[in-house]
Amino acid sequence: MPFIFGVSFVDQQLVSRALQSFYGIGPNVCKTLMARFNIHSTARIGALKDKQIDDLGAELSTMTLENDARRQLQDNIKRLRDMGTYRGRRHAMGLPVRGQRTRTQVSLTLALVEWDRDLAGYENVWTTFIYFRGLLLAKHQFHSISM
Amino acid sequence: MKPTTALFARSLWKGPHIVPLPIIRPKAGERSPPVKTQARSATILPNFVGLIFQVHNGKTYNDVRITEDMVGHKLGEFAATRKRFTYKQTKNK
Repeated sequence: MPFIFGVSFVDQQLVSRALQSFYGIGPNVCKTLMARFNIHSTARIGALKDKQIDDLGAELSTMTLENDARRQLQDNIKRLRDMGTYRGRRHAMGLPVRGQRTRTQVSLTLALVEWDRDLAGYENVWTTFIYFRGLLLAKHQFHSISM
Repeated sequence: MKPTTALFARSLWKGPHIVPLPIIRPKAGERSPPVKTQARSATILPNFVGLIFQVHNGKTYNDVRITEDMVGHKLGEFAATRKRFTYKQTKNK
């Protein structure tokens, strides 16, 4: 059970899967990392040498991963919003940012936006839970009446 | 990992899209008049910082004060071209 970047992995797991479990490492970054440390694409965690694990850990600690990467993303969006750009405004509205059409074919996006708006009144988790339980109950009652 | 991705939109050899704008450097102690322009696609250059632009949105000219963050963006990004839909009740039925 070697530790990489503070997370323990099972010996049987693929190295690529293990690396990609970190937020900020996708297929591409994973590929370059594995190429740099001479790891085969089908290698498993158990086959790694101690030095390779140390090197990987050292490399990962220099990268922006997990919460840092998430914060970076949020900061980038926030910068766009604060500047008052069109893109920032689209992000804030939850609508497509890159010029996609919205006349049709955004039903899911619009639904999510509406859902967010509905939930905006329900500030904490508990009230959200009550809200959904209420919905479920209402549904249940509807069914029992109709039967 | 991929610093070049942001530059995919435009070839590097062209450089930024520079539009000759009538920018008047104010004398010390004087305020520069806003630059009225329709060139929404003009890239914001570092020497624009602190100036006020009046950017055309198709109908009117919106005031945009350039800050340091905006360098590299286009002028048009800061002047919205669309109006939010509002329902107006008809008076004569």
